[in-house]
Amino acid sequence: MIRIERRLTEARWLVVAVPLGSLLGAAILSSIILFLTGHDPLATWARLLDRGFFASGAMSATLVTATPLLLTGLAAAAAFRMQTWNIGAEGQLYLGAIGASGIGIALRGQPALVIIPAMVIAGLATGAAWAAIPGVLRAYTRTNEIITSLMLNYVAGLLMTYLIFDSHSFWRDLSSFTARVFPQGKYLSEAASWPSFPIGGAVIPLGLLLGVVAAAVLWLVYTATRFGFEARVIGDSRAAAHYAGIRTRRKIVAVMALSGALAGLGGASEIGDFRHVLDPRGLQQASFGYAGIVVAALARLNPFAVIVVAILLGGLSNAGFSLQGATFPAGLVGTLQGLILFCALAGELLVHYRVRIGRPGRKAPPLSQVGVA
Amino acid sequence: MINDSVLVVIAASAISYGTPLLFAALGELLAERSGVLNLGVEGMMLMGAVTGFWAVQTVGGPGWVSLITAVVVAALAGAGTSLIHAFLTITLRASQIVSGLALTIFAGASGLSSYIGHVANLGGKPARHEFDALNVLGLRDAPVIGPILFHQNALTYVSWTLVALTLFYLYRTRPGLHLRAVGESPGTADAMGVNVTAYRYIHVMIGGALAGIGGAFFSLAITPSWLDGMTSGAGWIAIALVIFAFWRPELALVGAYLFGAFSSLAFTLQARQVHLPPEVFASLPYLMTIVVLVLVSTGWARRRLGAPAALGVPYVREER
Amino acid sequence: MVAAGQVPAVTMRGISKRFPGVRANDQVDFEVLPGEIHALLGENGAGKSTLSNILTGLYRPDEGEILLRGKPVVFQSPRDAIEAGIGMVHQHFRLAASFTVAENLVLGHRDAADRGLLLEPRMVEGRITDLSQRYRMPVNPRARIWQLSVGEQQRVEILKALYRGARILILDEPTSQLTPQEADDLFQTLRLMAGERRAVIFISHKLEEVMAVSNRVTVLRGGRVIGTVMTKETNTRELARMMVGREVVFTQKKEGPAQPERQVALELRGISANGDLGTAALREVNVTVHAGEIVGIAGVAGNGQRELAEVITGMRRRTAGQVAIRGRVMRGGDPLEPIQWGVAYVPDDRLGTGVAPSLSIADNLVLKAYRRAPISTFGVLHPRRIRAHATELMQRFNIGASTSQTPARQLSGGNIQKVLLARELSSRPLVLVANSPTSGLDVGATDTVRKLLLEAAGRGVGILLISEDLDEILALADRIAVLYNGRITGIVERQHADVEQIGLMMAGAA
Repeated sequence: MIRIERRLTEARWLVVAVPLGSLLGAAILSSIILFLTGHDPLATWARLLDRGFFASGAMSATLVTATPLLLTGLAAAAAFRMQTWNIGAEGQLYLGAIGASGIGIALRGQPALVIIPAMVIAGLATGAAWAAIPGVLRAYTRTNEIITSLMLNYVAGLLMTYLIFDSHSFWRDLSSFTARVFPQGKYLSEAASWPSFPIGGAVIPLGLLLGVVAAAVLWLVYTATRFGFEARVIGDSRAAAHYAGIRTRRKIVAVMALSGALAGLGGASEIGDFRHVLDPRGLQQASFGYAGIVVAALARLNPFAVIVVAILLGGLSNAGFSLQGATFPAGLVGTLQGLILFCALAGELLVHYRVRIGRPGRKAPPLSQVGVA
Repeated sequence: MINDSVLVVIAASAISYGTPLLFAALGELLAERSGVLNLGVEGMMLMGAVTGFWAVQTVGGPGWVSLITAVVVAALAGAGTSLIHAFLTITLRASQIVSGLALTIFAGASGLSSYIGHVANLGGKPARHEFDALNVLGLRDAPVIGPILFHQNALTYVSWTLVALTLFYLYRTRPGLHLRAVGESPGTADAMGVNVTAYRYIHVMIGGALAGIGGAFFSLAITPSWLDGMTSGAGWIAIALVIFAFWRPELALVGAYLFGAFSSLAFTLQARQVHLPPEVFASLPYLMTIVVLVLVSTGWARRRLGAPAALGVPYVREER
Repeated sequence: MVAAGQVPAVTMRGISKRFPGVRANDQVDFEVLPGEIHALLGENGAGKSTLSNILTGLYRPDEGEILLRGKPVVFQSPRDAIEAGIGMVHQHFRLAASFTVAENLVLGHRDAADRGLLLEPRMVEGRITDLSQRYRMPVNPRARIWQLSVGEQQRVEILKALYRGARILILDEPTSQLTPQEADDLFQTLRLMAGERRAVIFISHKLEEVMAVSNRVTVLRGGRVIGTVMTKETNTRELARMMVGREVVFTQKKEGPAQPERQVALELRGISANGDLGTAALREVNVTVHAGEIVGIAGVAGNGQRELAEVITGMRRRTAGQVAIRGRVMRGGDPLEPIQWGVAYVPDDRLGTGVAPSLSIADNLVLKAYRRAPISTFGVLHPRRIRAHATELMQRFNIGASTSQTPARQLSGGNIQKVLLARELSSRPLVLVANSPTSGLDVGATDTVRKLLLEAAGRGVGILLISEDLDEILALADRIAVLYNGRITGIVERQHADVEQIGLMMAGAA
């Protein structure tokens, strides 16, 4: 007979063991899927790891992919900690990209010191504004934010497509005949390219550094400020928050906006660090927003753990996309991410519960040993 | 002729576009009635779409054999996918929200459904067989009601039967009463000898099966071919529909056709040379979902009419 | 009625049940004869509920065996116990609120007459009417549970057991939410059932009613059986000693001379408010609490108590009337306002509303003070001061926990209530609203809470004490107001209080 009992205290070592175990479990499960579909799991894994981390230049590419993942992961962590389910990081990232690229194009000719901060601010602001919509609806009309924020992802994707493919918008390149026939966005000026910093064998993009700073700020906000305290109370019990006189509605909007700002910064970094153009297809294919949920869950909503997990999953996505082709089918990355999440959820059980296997009718220890008199 | 008028065309295709939503929403409704929220509908639909399409391409024999097999395969795929969610949330008490999201990421676009589609090389080919509109009782050309009620495909008629069956099941049968009790007050149901775990597992899996069929409707009737991520959010709209319907099957039918109409509006108006950017039409179902949700979340509807009281709460007997 | 040599209806031998960190039952032996009303007496946490949950198949014992009419049985699930003729009336009724009475009765049940796949509402309703006439428990089978009063809901619970042909009936604290008169009616029904040679197990921690209704009493303490005695051969004093393990004298309010020029701390003028379902829950309530005075609000749960507390503390909007603190009228509808005006609140839902369950003791102790210096300045919290604050209060209020970082949900009910009171009383309030402050607590914690309330009143805090426990109100309050159906049906001075009369007011009959 299997019994599941609540642990009185969380086992510390499990906090590290669970994410690692989840990765291992997901690796085993996905190997089974690979095997069943006629692929050699070991060879596939070897290629994935090589292309993700060890091949020359792989780490730099991985860090570029990890940057938006880090920021959407933080976005999810910021909201989920308050039990506010912002599933809209995907759309908020698109909006951040739209905002940052728009400012970048508008400020053409300005020096980098003007353009880059403007892009950062635009990304933060547009992402926050987009996320505030489901936030306000949740706070003031009690509309389920999961569905509204998700619906807005589709709308944001369509908005991007419209700007580049179905309109003569400010973002679209109309300067040449080919650009009119094969629509694409305007490229940003050289000054709008974000700097990167070579350290060791890898190149660290500015966005990643901003993400690390954001992680530290998020951690500080949640542990050491009134705002964070209130968010923790709300996250634990809405009734207790109401009782303590906390303005729950404003806080929901604020946390959604904060979450959206982080995702929006992820969009800005995609433009500044990597694409330098508003690229609807590329951004939608990457689906960084959804992957951010995986990152946050695996990091158990800890901002610093988000950094590590983002780099790990960034490597896998990066490798998955660059290897995609006839011998390496698409869809493996999402499958893998899903499996990691499943394992992490199952592992969460171990943190909070003790699984006992044994027969009923065993002799229980005497009262004195249990510590209850 | 009146049957070519915009309204009739929209109404007829609203039913067609609404049918997959209805299947998925009925399934989610049953799962939620048992107290389990499954946000993985989109993923389960995509699994149904890809496996159903695969079956129709692979299974020989006459068209109807192939199609029925495809529907069964899609239902099994959906149910199998939902089993993961059932195990994680019912047995392991994981967060229903996160597990449902995980299911969508796992099975959805750029997940397992996409993997299967690419491995089996299904993309870009027309379906060998598809669900054609029937001419029921020869009334296809009857004015107004003909195209709307008598010129739909077989699955649509199946979905109507399902609505009636679900209503009967929920309110007139003993297992239906038990199901409602499990979602409403699992502690009561348990104390009265109803097997809460079994009811939850079974209904989550029925929900998965119906979502799978809904997905197959896309690849076998609407498109009919396979594309990565082809349900484009229908699963999420189905979840919203359950809220909109106050967890009642007959209202789910109304809601499904309302949203079907938003989708068909986009295609019909575009086909009739109404000049607006296609994205405006395409975003209509998503925006309307938000609007409708806001409406049912405020005012008189605010008291969570019909929501199962234990929705989203794991049931644990031996915990104090 | 209890004769030697009878085969017991139920025999439980050597029952043990362990939960993480607690041994709820330890080698319990217990037997009940047919036709007997057997009381199971013990404090909260003595193991009564665990024992009954084992007998109803909800829990499986770690050790021990159960015999019904002399034959050993093993219950794999509640269904087995129901089929063996065991019926349970839970303290928190196991009824689906949105279902009708009839639907609740057929739930999970099949018998010779009613076993098909389809529901047969008409036949079931007929059977319910027959049963309710026979046991004099009138109830409308088509009514939905949420429309019924607590007393009626209890009838449904008992009918449910009888509908299943229960020969052994277990009632868990059945009088806790009844008026004294309703409790008398219940005792009549129980005697009727015992007269049919059904075995009745009556779980309670109230000595008087155990003396009034039972034939035998088994006393549990700390999960063990202390003894089984014939009711007519014992008395409340002996039972109390067995139950608690020492002599108990509850703290009582000392009769003090009236202080005529006391200031008004809290004044409610014509308060009306709606309940959660939008129906009127409070109707023109007028109550005045002076500084240093304890005003008790008596009444059966669900008559507007929670709504009253919530209106005063800003958690619920009122539809009419005014709430004044020291003569100043509050805007209302905002929980922060009364906090800033010096209104402390101990809600009935301790874990969930009164404290945030996953947050630490330290965080819970600053749940209201976190806004101000010295706990925070310019939006930044000071963890060291939070910890120091916690250490001080944990010492002063004797909160039993290893560290201030322990999550609140791991504390016992008594310690949770101490955390709550420590936070609320340390804010130096003018008014304290306490809703059911001792419900579910053991004797020691109950006494501590009562002492704290009396001390606070002694320092001049005006206290509104809402409690279903009439004895508690009689022990602590200076004046007693009775709430029935959202109205104050009477206010009496404690010196002139008469239990019989208050009981009638609680039932709306006076």
